[in-house]
Formats: sequence, structure tokens, C-alpha cells
Amino acid sequence: MANLNIRSKQERTYEAIVVGSGISGSWAAKELCDLGVKTLMIERGRNVEHIKDYPTTNMLPYEFPHRGQMPKEVKDANPVVSKCYAFNEDAAHFFVKDAEHPYVQEKPFDWIRGYQVGGKSLLWARQVQRWSDFDFEGPARDGFAVDWPIRYKDIASWYSHVEKFAGVSGNKDGLPQLPDGEFLPGYELNVVEKYFAEQLKKHYGNDRHMISSRCAHIHGNAEYYAQQGRAMCQNRNLCQRGCPFGGYFSSNSSTIPWALKTGNLTLRPDAIVHSVIYDEELGKATGVRIIDAHTKEVEEFYAPVLFINAAALNTNLILLNSTSNRFPNGLGNDNGLLGKYVAFHNYRARVSGEYEGLSEYATSGGRPTSGYFPRFRNVYKQETDFLRGYAAGFSGGRGARADNSGIGMELKESLLNPDQYGPWRVGSHMMGETLPKETNYVALDENLKDPYGMPQLKINIDYDDNDEKMTKDYIEQMTEMFEKAGFTNIQSSDSKQAPGLDIHEMGGVRMGKDPKTSLLNANHQLHAVPNVYVTDGASMTSTSTQNPSLTYMAFAARAAHHAVAESKK
Amino acid sequence: MNRRIALRHLALISGGLALIPSCDFSSDDILAAYDKLKVTASQKTLLGDISNTIIPAGEIKGALDLEVPDFILVMINDCFTTENQAMFTKGFAAFPDYVKTITGSKFEKLDTKKKEEIIQAGTKLEGGETEEGQTNKAISYFLNTTKRFTIQGYMASEYIQTEVIPYSLIPGEYNGAVLITDLQKPRING
Repeated sequence: MANLNIRSKQERTYEAIVVGSGISGSWAAKELCDLGVKTLMIERGRNVEHIKDYPTTNMLPYEFPHRGQMPKEVKDANPVVSKCYAFNEDAAHFFVKDAEHPYVQEKPFDWIRGYQVGGKSLLWARQVQRWSDFDFEGPARDGFAVDWPIRYKDIASWYSHVEKFAGVSGNKDGLPQLPDGEFLPGYELNVVEKYFAEQLKKHYGNDRHMISSRCAHIHGNAEYYAQQGRAMCQNRNLCQRGCPFGGYFSSNSSTIPWALKTGNLTLRPDAIVHSVIYDEELGKATGVRIIDAHTKEVEEFYAPVLFINAAALNTNLILLNSTSNRFPNGLGNDNGLLGKYVAFHNYRARVSGEYEGLSEYATSGGRPTSGYFPRFRNVYKQETDFLRGYAAGFSGGRGARADNSGIGMELKESLLNPDQYGPWRVGSHMMGETLPKETNYVALDENLKDPYGMPQLKINIDYDDNDEKMTKDYIEQMTEMFEKAGFTNIQSSDSKQAPGLDIHEMGGVRMGKDPKTSLLNANHQLHAVPNVYVTDGASMTSTSTQNPSLTYMAFAARAAHHAVAESKK
Repeated sequence: MNRRIALRHLALISGGLALIPSCDFSSDDILAAYDKLKVTASQKTLLGDISNTIIPAGEIKGALDLEVPDFILVMINDCFTTENQAMFTKGFAAFPDYVKTITGSKFEKLDTKKKEEIIQAGTKLEGGETEEGQTNKAISYFLNTTKRFTIQGYMASEYIQTEVIPYSLIPGEYNGAVLITDLQKPRING
């Protein structure tokens, strides 16, 4: 590889470098820029500009040659990404194709990635539930992983900070296990969902709740968001194409244009970070080495503060590949735990059913969210034969369908005038906490390289007995709740999908109090290299059950302010 | 543009017939546009007749007016597994003989009612281990697949979604408890 540091070192020096432009990276960059820090944001994928680079956003169904379905040739060439529910004709261009970044599956792992400016913030499910101390205290109480070095009080104001800016709709539900936040008006549950929530209250008292899921959509009041150039969510449910209204939070619609407007952000797409440069004399990291995606030339960039937010597993990959005499096993990896204690969310099981009641009602219009079942298992004390618990999604729906059984004019009449309502359909899916273990790890393959000459990541992550018990419990409990609510035709399934497809992989660079058993301190700094911060999924000590992105946003904002405060000391 | 796409475009421009038309129907030309299916020009005409029986023209256009047969073949050619393509093709090839055995006539010669009956009966054919059972299974698969894609291709066509039941990119605020009696729309005459 040619090393062409043609431009002067000064031209390649910034006050901070953020690796990654997804949810956590863009939040770090936005905060740094707001605080006046000249920041370079590096993204391995191409640039995606808000609206301009959303080619499918206003396409009509008939404009997709296969009406959304991916051709078999593409599926055959991409067995991993094809498993993702959103890999369809309208959004396939935002997903990494299998051959673009190969990896080694020591055990089955579906690694779903989005390499472009904005990363997976264009593709995420936009569910944003806060953690509580029942989550942060989990490892210490139940004796797994290590104790989190922070508690809810450390992060609460940062949740508020990011919620207000990103735009979060939700209701003040007053639940201790799911703290309330800075909410725009919540979305309405429909009549069958409200019925189910009431039934839960009737049969389980105050133990089990079903609420309107908090989501990162602008709802009810858009005034504050006009300064970001964003407008109200239009209920299109085409979010994965990129939203021309900026109705939901993405880096592309919100944090990145905001940071650019400060004049402090330099965006460098098409640059794969090879490693972090460590200066042994100075005893700190001084910059990053990148590979240009097109020319494959190597270039170096420098800054006194580095944020590595490349998405959980890629952050592990970069740090593992950042070797020096001081750190022969990866940056900050004195204890050998870098890449270990990776965990994820168990999304394997579903329960569905029907409800014959409320037959005079249906729904109309659209909404970007549905019901959410906060964790009710083992919240206050250990009460089952497995540790931790699960949250669940819940939704009910009913719309007119056509009777397709006929033929000819009769069928045509039926198709054009759908009037078959049938019962309400209700469904739920689990979101289970998995336990981080040393045996669930990622490491660099000794031989195999990717198309840029980077070592391939070996992934060795699996379910365990705790997950099996929890999956079984979810199916039993949800089935029981459905029965008590009078739902019929109840069916359950366990997809046994591989880890990864939840797209909630976390850990490997975990936070902790003790440098002997963790990589990051309470401020998200590497214990051994404090000018390197990690605030994405890699930093997670445990996984809880909540969708994690909101917590990454809060971590990134908090750490950015910490870095600036440190630099002024 | 690669050769395959070029051929497909040419095929679409020339109405699906990429090869020079021949008058000799004993060597029925294979349409290059659907390279994995080996569909002949006369087969495509038959498919058009079947799909137009499933959704006929009236005051509102029918399946053939909207080029639904092209959609059916594109979907099967591009999205199906080899095994399912083979099953479809087998059923497709066997369909004319099936019609002849039952009615003593060719499909295109039947009146509308007979056409409808034979398609509906064919979708319900049961398979079996014997050669006949295998053929029946394929015919049923062919007809059910054709019906499914006729409905999808028709309903998700530009004509239906712009002129008949306009598709709304912005569906409006959610109402989670709307009375069905308030939802009744003026009936569209099919």
C-alpha cells in the first residue's frame, strides 16, 4: 500500500477525530462542534446527503420492478444481509452486501451493517426507551459481567439532552423500570391494544404494563425542529428509504447537518480506519490511519482527542488492529479482554393471535410505532430459573381485506372494494437480555483479509441455557396473557435465528470500574489511553432489554462534554 | 448495460418477442426476456388469456391491458428458486393438455364461464406420487402462482394506483378506533 501523506501534517490535524457517522458518532461530533471543537468525522462508506441521496423515498409501489422483493440472484449472493427484514428493493442500497466486508463465522452470526454517512441511523427501528437503575445495577445484583461504573443519575440529564434534540414522542407512563423523558405527544394505542393493556391491569395488577412505545419521531409539535430543517412525521412508514421530512431522527437529517452548520465539522467519507496511532513517547493516541476506499492509499489524521464509534463490532476490529510495542494485543488491551464479553438481544420468539371482540372498529391512517411491554420478569428480585428478563413489542391491527377466492368479474369487484374485516390480529415479539460472557467474543483472523487488506473479524457468539429458558418463558407468559385477554387462535414460534439479526450486538470494549476487568472507565475513556473514547455499542457492560441507540446517544453527548472539559484543564 | 439487460429491454420494446417472428408454430420461439423459464410466444399468449380470465377488462381495465403477464414472468424469472421455476414451467407446459382432456377443446376456444371453471378447478387439483399426481401438483402450482401474481401485478399497477384507487404516500394521522360504518367508501364498479 502506498503511503501518500501528501498534504502537510498541519492540514491533517484537527482538535478531535470521530470515527463513524452513525447514531453515536454523529452525536459525539455534534456536541464537539457545538462546543467549538474543530472536528474531523471519518466514515468508511460513501456520503449520503439528507434528501438528495434518498433515491427511493418518493417512489410508488409500482415503480419497484419486483414490488419490493429482492431478486433471487441478489439473495443467493448475499445470504447474510438477505435475512434482514428491511433488505428490500426500496432500501437495499443502504445495506452492506456480503462480499463487501467478509468476516469469519466461527458460529453463525448475521452481521447486518450500513456503511454510509449516517450509518444504520437511516435503517433503525427508532425505538427509544430509557434504561433505569434496574438495568445499570443488573450485573452487580445478579453476579454476571462486571458492575457498571455509572448509574441512572449519571446519565439522566443526558437522556433529556438528546431526547429533546432528536425528538422523542411518548407518554409519561410513570413506570420505575422505564423512566419518563422529554416527550413530544405520544402516539395513540389502538382500541385492541388499549383493551389488552386494561386486561393486563385486571389480571396482573400493577405488575405488567403495555404502553405506547417511545419513538424518535416528531409528533404533535414541530416548531423546535424547524431550526434543524425537520418537520412533523407524516406517518408514511417508509423510514428505511430516508425521510424527506426529517420526521424521524437520523444522523443525516439532524446531527450531521447541525454540526456542519457550526463550521467546525469536516466530513471525510470513503475512508476505512485501519488503526489508531499510538505514540509511545507521549503515552497517548495521536491520530488514525485510514485507507481510501477508492485509491486504497493510506493517509494519517491527527487530533488530541479520538472518538471510536464505528459501530460495536467494527470498533472492536479497529482497536484490535491498533497494535504497538506498548499494546501488542490491541489498543488499551492490557487485560486481554478486548473483544470479549460481547452480547446481543434475543429476538427469537413471537406469539400471535386473534381477537373477535371490538368488531365494530378498525384503524385508519398510519403511525410509526406500536405497543411496548417493559420488562416484568426479575425486576425487583430474582424470581425465575433464568437471570434477567425480556421486553416485548405488541401490536394489533385490523383493516379491510379482499376475498381472493373468486375469479373473473366477481374477483375484480372484490379486489377493488375490499370489505372483509375478519377478527383483529394481534402479535408480539420478544426482546431478551443476554448475558455477556468471556466465551462470546470477536477476534482478528490470523490469515484472512478483507478487500482493503484489513484482517477479517472472527465472530464467536452463541445463545446459552439462560437464553433458552427465557425464550420458553416468554412464549409461556405471552401465551397466558393472550389467553387471559380472550385472544384466540394463539400461535407461537421460535425462529432460532442466529445472533446478529437483532442488530443489537454490544460489548467487547466494556465499561467498568477496574482496569483489570474492563476497557473503559466511567467517562468512556480507555483506562490505558484516556484520550480515546468509545461511546457506541462496544462500550456496553450489559445489554438490558431496551433498544440501545438512545443510550449510545446519551453516552456520546456526555463523553464529548467530558473530553472538552478535560482539554481545558 | 450488460447483454442480459439489453436483451430484456429489447424484448419489452418488441412486446416480449426478441427473436425474429416465425410463422412455423411447430418451432415456437422462446422469449429471451425470461431466460430461466424458456417461455414461448404462444405460451405467453396463453398466460395472457389466463390472467385476463382471472381479472377481465370491463369499465375498468383488465389484467392484459396492464401487461400483467410480463409482471408474472419477471417475478418468476427473477425471484423464484430453480425448483419452483421448474414446477411452474412443468405446470405451464401441462396445462393445454389438461384443458383438452377435460373439455375436448383448446383453452382459448372456451367461453368465459368454462375458462373460469377450469382455472378454479385447476387451482384445487391435488398432487400425488404417481406421474399424473405430479403433473396435477404442477398444474395447481402454476395456476395458483399465476393467480397470485395476477392479483399482485394488477393491484400494484400504475393504472390502479393512480386512476382507480390512488396510492397515498401520506396516509394521515392514525385513528386507532374508527367505526367500520364510518369507513365505507363509495363502491368502485369492478
